Amino acid sequence: MSVDRPALSETRPDSARPSTGRRTASRTAGTTSPSRGWGDVVIDRVWRFFCSVRAAIWEVAFLATLMLIGTLRGSSVPRSLADAIPFTSPLVDRWYAWDVYNSLLFMLTLALMAIATAVGGMFNRASGIWKAIAHPTVPTTHRFLRGTGGNLFLASASPVSTTAAGLERDLRERRYRVLIQTRGDEVHLYFDKNRFSRLGTFPFHIALILFMVGGIVAAQFGFREMAFIIPEGESRAIGHGTDLAVRLDRFEDTYVESGLPAEYTSYLTLLDNERPVASDAITVNDPLTYDGVTIYQSSFGQAVQIRVTDLTGAALYDGAVELGTFTSSDNPDALAAVVDLRPAGVVLTIIAPDQFPIKQPELDRLQLADQEIYVRARYTGSPGGQEMRAAVLATRQTADLGAIRVEFLRETRFSLFQVASNPAIPLFIVASIMLLGGLMVTFYFPHRRIRGIVSPDSVGDGSKVHLAPLAKRDWGGHRQFDSLVNALANGPSLNLLDTTTKQPAAPGA
Amino acid sequence: MEALVKLSFYCFAATSIAIVAASACYVSFAAGRFRVRARVAPLSFSGAPSGSSVSTVPTGFGSGPTAASLGEFGTMLAWFGLAFQTLSLGMRITASRSAPSNMYEFSMVFVFAVLLIYLLFERSYREKHLGAIVLPIAVGMAAYVWSLPAESREVNPLIPALQNQPLMTTHVSLAIFGYAAFAISFAAAVLFLIVQRRPMSWLPSAAMLDDIGFRGVTIGFPLIALVLITGSIWAHRAWGAYWSWDPKETSALFLWLVYAVYLHTRSLRGWRGTRGAVILILGFAATIFTYFGNYVFGGLHAYGGV
Ligand code: HEM
Repeated sequence: MSVDRPALSETRPDSARPSTGRRTASRTAGTTSPSRGWGDVVIDRVWRFFCSVRAAIWEVAFLATLMLIGTLRGSSVPRSLADAIPFTSPLVDRWYAWDVYNSLLFMLTLALMAIATAVGGMFNRASGIWKAIAHPTVPTTHRFLRGTGGNLFLASASPVSTTAAGLERDLRERRYRVLIQTRGDEVHLYFDKNRFSRLGTFPFHIALILFMVGGIVAAQFGFREMAFIIPEGESRAIGHGTDLAVRLDRFEDTYVESGLPAEYTSYLTLLDNERPVASDAITVNDPLTYDGVTIYQSSFGQAVQIRVTDLTGAALYDGAVELGTFTSSDNPDALAAVVDLRPAGVVLTIIAPDQFPIKQPELDRLQLADQEIYVRARYTGSPGGQEMRAAVLATRQTADLGAIRVEFLRETRFSLFQVASNPAIPLFIVASIMLLGGLMVTFYFPHRRIRGIVSPDSVGDGSKVHLAPLAKRDWGGHRQFDSLVNALANGPSLNLLDTTTKQPAAPGA
Repeated sequence: MEALVKLSFYCFAATSIAIVAASACYVSFAAGRFRVRARVAPLSFSGAPSGSSVSTVPTGFGSGPTAASLGEFGTMLAWFGLAFQTLSLGMRITASRSAPSNMYEFSMVFVFAVLLIYLLFERSYREKHLGAIVLPIAVGMAAYVWSLPAESREVNPLIPALQNQPLMTTHVSLAIFGYAAFAISFAAAVLFLIVQRRPMSWLPSAAMLDDIGFRGVTIGFPLIALVLITGSIWAHRAWGAYWSWDPKETSALFLWLVYAVYLHTRSLRGWRGTRGAVILILGFAATIFTYFGNYVFGGLHAYGGV
């Protein structure tokens, strides 16, 4: 009986014998010792919580629930719930309003799980797992073998030592590790395969923590700009503590028949302290990376190059204006933009010609020709801020609009980029490899273990081999054990008496 | 090209017929056994175990002749279905020269994957009863393909963001193979619950079904992990961010977490078995939700069109 225990606990490494002082303390605290202080009890409880796989199940399930809530927020499912059951509608409104992934609750859950993964998923199990790998207990009992539910007896004509040696040879050939101990006239056996597979759970769970750490690193030290616009021919500083700037030298686009863009390309030059350091043509799936900063092609659009001066000739604006950022009621089908020159008391609206002249022509109150733009200046300082002046300009034309002069230089285009820097990428790559590697090892090379006792037969000089897989509730382990024993029994080295003896042992035999 | 696309669809029609017939065979194999057994039970099930092997695992073979040959027919038809589906996909890919990119193509791959994985399991476990659940799932997916408007069968060029071929092919196919593996786990879990409730000697043992359920997850879980990883690499190339909490991403992560819960239950005595099977069934519900997510989500992944 006393030999049984360690062997039994090996089948459940999560409940392996206490591996730390703290855990030992928790046992006594929980059961016998009333003299322990409150603090110890609390610490023990917390420790046990973090060690518990049962708690891990609930934690992962809770995280999954948060993910589901967040996922559905991006759908119309809650809305239809509210439509179906009216009184849920305040709840549904809150649901849509709750930014799950940036909430404190979500962060706390992740933090809790990171700790639990480290403590319960790894730290607490490490020594138990290491023992199962490095120093498994060899001696066992017939009673334990019967308890596995998969034991069987083989009868050999050879004496104990020969049979044990034959088994050892056969199993080593099959790449099993074989451990043998002689106890009186019996030989106790332990053989296993893929023992290091038990370690796979460590890279896997560490990878989970690394992903969380990576997320924090990225949020803390990285940046991401979603709408980084550069008109053709101009350059723009990236900022965020870098000395980098991007110049859009040229932009090209091609279309398929249906009018969808087939491909568009931006020819960029990257400037570091105004010195060109890289140049590349980037497309949607082919970004440019320099010094940890990546520039992605995102989209593009129409722009106009204008110059605005006041009546003394001082420039108020000189550059490109991206169209399409604004929709004007004067022509909803046209690309338009607003240029805010409020320090000078003026807000400019610029409207391009109609994009789809055949679509709802009655809405177009401007009727611009190709290559023309409509420019309107609203004087914010005027009574009610409503004084306006407007003009239609063709390329290279200039108009005086009250206190300002606007010159339309030319049509141009802009390209829209995303600029991002994510210093956690190497971490993510390492974590991905660890995660997949750990899973593969755990799943595809499972640790297989077999225990056995070779004892002298009560009649004759033969021996009896009692074998059992350590595969509680593991059908696959049993199946492998069966096919292994079949192969052993059909091989010559065991010198089996008669195949009819290869029967599953009856309970209590 | 046009002709190939058409021919591919005709092959799919052949697949559909084969798997409908296979489903009928598998289902009546499972049910027909019931009749045959009821009649001969006192004779053939009076307790003689299969004594020829050392197996300690109840295998549950042996039944009436009619039922058994129905099972053989089912298997044969399922292999036919797989063969036609392979042809169909091959032609489609030749014609479009691109990875699957809309629900029509995804579902074609799903039918292929679920047949392939199922047949491999059937061979490995020598167990046909799962077919009575898995094949109808394949038929359901085929029916969904038929319900799609005819335009979706045409080959369309992709928008630039979806044009990174090898990565996208990997990403999408891995996901679909993962879903197909979860379908096997689902079938095993359903049978498991049936067997638990009312042990039926001709059905596979609960222990074997538990193992099949687990094996399905050992295929699907790493695949979905890879899907999340390749997906974020792709998102990085196309949209400039590895992870943007897009509903399609989060629903895949949700799915993954459900199966992580399942994997943890396997190391707990009280949780293994029935509760594990229930989680597998929930997991498959989550799989379907993720698969058809394009219908309920906006977001970046809507670009490919439904
Ligand atoms: C919350 C803290 C966590 C704890 C305490 C924990 C603990 C454990 C333990 C003890 C095992 C081994 C069971 C056995 O030996 O049979 C395990 C396995 C596993 N866990 Fe966790 N885990 C945690 C979080 C997670 C998370 C968040 C995931 C996935 C998203 C995960 C995925 C897995 C998987 C896939 C396995 C099976 C493969 C393996 O043994 O490595 N775990 N976990």
